[in-house]
Amino acid sequence: MKRYLYTVFGFFLLASCQEEVFLELNTVEPRPVIEAFWTDAGIYNFVRLSTSKDFYNTEPNEVIDDASVFITNENNGDIISFRFSQQAGRYLPLNNVAGKIGDTYRLHVEWKDNVYESSGVLLDAPVLDSIVYNFRDERIFRDPGYYLTLYGDILFEDNNFYRLRVVKNDTLLNNRNDYLLFDDSFGTSILNRGFELSGFPFKANDRVRLELFRLNRDTFDYINQVVGLLFNDGGLFSPPPQNPESNIKLKSGKNEPLGYFKVSPVRTVDIVVAPE
Amino acid sequence: MKVLPVYFSFLFICYSYTLQAQQANLIQGKVVEIQSEEPLPGANVYWEGKRQQGVVTDIDGNFTIKAPELPAKLVISFIGFEISIRSISPKDTEKILKFYLKPEAFSLEEVIISGRAADQNIKSLEMGKSVIPIETIRNIPALFGEVDLLRSLQLLPGVQTAGEGTTGLFVRGGSADQNLVQIDGAPVYNPSHFFGFFSVFNPDALEGLEFYKGNIPANLGGRISSVIDVSLKEGNYQKIKGEGGIGTISSRLTLDGPLLSDQSSFTVSARRTYADVFLRLSNDENLRNNSLYFYDLSGKFTFRFGNKDKLSVSTYFGSDFLGLSRQFGFGWDNWVNALNWTRTINEKTYFDLNAYYTRYRYAVNFDDPDIGFVWDNVLSESGVKGEWTYLPDNKTSMSWGFHSQLYQFSPIALSPSPRSNIEPISTNPRNGLQNNLFFSAVADINSRLRAEGGLRWGLYNQIGRGKVFIYEDDIPSPESNIIDSLSFNRFENIQFYQGLEPRISFRYLIREDFSFKAAYNRTFQYVQVASNSSAGLPIDRWVPAGIYIPPIRGDQYSVGLFKNLKDNTWELSLEGYYKDFRNLIDLRQGASVLFTDNVETELLTGDGYAYGLEFLLRKNVGKTTGWLSYTYSRVWWEIEGISGDNKFNPRFDRPHDVTLVLNHEFSKRWSANMTFVYTTGQAVTFPIGSYEMDNQRLPLYGEQRNGDRFPDYHRMDASVTWRNVDKGRKWRGSWNLSIYNLYGRKNPFSYQFTDIINDQINFDPGSGQEIISRRPGVAMTYLFTFLPALTYNFEF
Repeated sequence: MKRYLYTVFGFFLLASCQEEVFLELNTVEPRPVIEAFWTDAGIYNFVRLSTSKDFYNTEPNEVIDDASVFITNENNGDIISFRFSQQAGRYLPLNNVAGKIGDTYRLHVEWKDNVYESSGVLLDAPVLDSIVYNFRDERIFRDPGYYLTLYGDILFEDNNFYRLRVVKNDTLLNNRNDYLLFDDSFGTSILNRGFELSGFPFKANDRVRLELFRLNRDTFDYINQVVGLLFNDGGLFSPPPQNPESNIKLKSGKNEPLGYFKVSPVRTVDIVVAPE
Repeated sequence: MKVLPVYFSFLFICYSYTLQAQQANLIQGKVVEIQSEEPLPGANVYWEGKRQQGVVTDIDGNFTIKAPELPAKLVISFIGFEISIRSISPKDTEKILKFYLKPEAFSLEEVIISGRAADQNIKSLEMGKSVIPIETIRNIPALFGEVDLLRSLQLLPGVQTAGEGTTGLFVRGGSADQNLVQIDGAPVYNPSHFFGFFSVFNPDALEGLEFYKGNIPANLGGRISSVIDVSLKEGNYQKIKGEGGIGTISSRLTLDGPLLSDQSSFTVSARRTYADVFLRLSNDENLRNNSLYFYDLSGKFTFRFGNKDKLSVSTYFGSDFLGLSRQFGFGWDNWVNALNWTRTINEKTYFDLNAYYTRYRYAVNFDDPDIGFVWDNVLSESGVKGEWTYLPDNKTSMSWGFHSQLYQFSPIALSPSPRSNIEPISTNPRNGLQNNLFFSAVADINSRLRAEGGLRWGLYNQIGRGKVFIYEDDIPSPESNIIDSLSFNRFENIQFYQGLEPRISFRYLIREDFSFKAAYNRTFQYVQVASNSSAGLPIDRWVPAGIYIPPIRGDQYSVGLFKNLKDNTWELSLEGYYKDFRNLIDLRQGASVLFTDNVETELLTGDGYAYGLEFLLRKNVGKTTGWLSYTYSRVWWEIEGISGDNKFNPRFDRPHDVTLVLNHEFSKRWSANMTFVYTTGQAVTFPIGSYEMDNQRLPLYGEQRNGDRFPDYHRMDASVTWRNVDKGRKWRGSWNLSIYNLYGRKNPFSYQFTDIINDQINFDPGSGQEIISRRPGVAMTYLFTFLPALTYNFEF
């Protein structure tokens, strides 16, 4: 793959170079960062609170452990309380509670004098039928290996915003190239025809889990903007960098939040690449 | 020797707008070659500074020209010969004068194109206008040795560049899509090759260039910041000639000469790069199968009918292609065609007709049975423009006309391969019809004051075929529900805009060599690019004005002082401007405009303003020529939804800009050139912290967009040219060695704020290498340090 990129820009590589430099950067008071997942599977649900730090700071980000966190089901008024787990370094729902498809949920975080809120709908999930793998030879933009094809059905007219996460041998694939986000720009028959994950070659005996999330639009936009930022090289061909637009609002206080609240169903399929 | 048609004189009359008082005295003379004393038919004879009123010698080398107030300087010029300038006194009217022309060792085209009076900068109404001889552009040291017209314009005051090496122009605070680039009157939508690093103009094919950044005349319009009016070279009427060059990355060849008879001529020109030729020498089969090239072809055919009509047909085709392993291809091309008819109705009235068709298209083709696709788009503009010029007396000129433009922006189409799991896409077309009427008059109010008043009236219709979406509450945004859609038939009116564009300018002559000028210009722009990157891409989406997208409006106020020194040897000018922009567009965060039919939901609209002061000292004649310029300029945009609704600088806001261009002729063989540029660094946004999100370390940005700066940019380029003057006159060659970035300044192209893994800035996480360390850091990319290039140029 790299070889092709070298060809494309080889012309300029003859004359271009990269080096590490140190730039004096402005600093700012730490800002709170909220990362909240609320799904219909209890194991995925958590709220993580931390603060930002100076760019060159190599210390771990400070975790906020003294906030009050709960989620309200706006359909029935139920309140789901969260408690900070030292071991996990985040807030977990009591009794591993999960969300219910079709309900609207509101996140509520209080920290110091600040109150933050956000809400989202737990949408119905697409159907995942099966997953198959096939060996593919090397082709342009594709390394050789086993490639997975996911079959299923998307039954919805609206709110088709999806993220697929790939877990390989118990490790979440988390490089910037590993974000797999899609909407219905190219139609909704993608799963019916078989969705080949062309960016993910596997080896024999790899254990793979696919996790499909159906997101609210604001969450989808947020993650898209995160990916845009990860690919932003600060050059002429990149848009001016900005913080992704958070769907969490500051209700009272003065410390604007970073981060997002993800309300989503999750569907998973597991497979072991075991060729005969 | 063939007779040079009297067409030259006709040409000069056509463009004569500044007739001066003449006396009845006649000067008679004969022009001959110095050694053989053979008569030289077709030589140009004119009074210094009044080339437009010149005459040409007849078959016997004789001429008769009306004399102004004597003494005055008479200029005799002829292709391939050194210019002769002689002072003529009243007593010379009594005899037949003889002029001896000496063959030039190495003829330069400059003489034919610099039809410009030495003091035109003082006397004319021109402000913010540059006429650059192609020879000057050729002498400027070039990146990879590729002489580049647009990059040369970046050396003028008031013109900024997006970044290292790129050809996009940002003129007096305007963005790159606000420049009208036209070839013989036909617009070019993407005037660059290779992602903007080279422009589409092959210097050999060009006759000249007029660049308007201030007072744009009423007969031009459609873009609010500048007009770059390029004319293709008209072939000579005597004999077939050629010129070309073999360069580091490309070669070029141009032929011109008479066509059919001495009443018609042609010029054909070609240029092609050969990076892919080297790829084929690779041992790696994949690399061998890759392609990377661009080429240009152009032609101009001119026909004279009698001595009142001239018709020329110009065409340009330029294409880029990037191919990988015969499976992936990305190409784009411009096809530009223009027909120009010039007619002398009578001694005082002239008519010009320009009809054109220009097309830009791109295609991306990925040949794969499972995930392959073809993605393409075409956009075109067809137009016709008629202009009448009337010169009632020698102090006044008037012109009026019409200009009709049809914009056709075809659907963006993506067709997946049959086994692909994505569905085809085809957006709705977007079309516009624009009719413009214009009128302008120039008059000498008294001996010192000259004024021009012009008005352009643009009538624009967004027309069908097309579809318009109706949004809830009439607000197009990504969250808005579409409540209805309306389909329109071909040419059916969808939305109408109209706008009056006054163009006013004055010149007050303080002294013969010192003038003050002022101008006001309003322009509307009905098509623009929806993009938020600073450099243009071949896949940029052009959008015409419509229901949700109003036209951009630009108002420019400018004043200037112009002074010439030492008998017009030096030009000195100081110009100031203030510009107001309305209805600028930018993209909302995370916008996706490539395939959407609802592009209006992705746009944000706002206003802006720019101001600046430009100083220019220029020397046009002598062994040493060149210019020194300094510009102080600022540009601010204010767009709701960006930068916390605060005003911000676009990336190309670069307050201080110094340029020095020097050319020195050491001898007939040797000449050298040097350019130096210094500008404030680009306005950019640096992070102010970092945070963790979704298992990623993300940079944290402040609210203000582009509140930081790259380090100052500076660079020096140099070149030397050696001409072989002894090899006879049939084949004349020259070598040019140019060095880009002579002292190897590392000017940043980009800064990437990233994790430095294992102390390697280019660590590949997929390499399987163990990660030992990870820390935040900044990786700087820089291009082109000390880049020499050798070019061989020839003429025959």
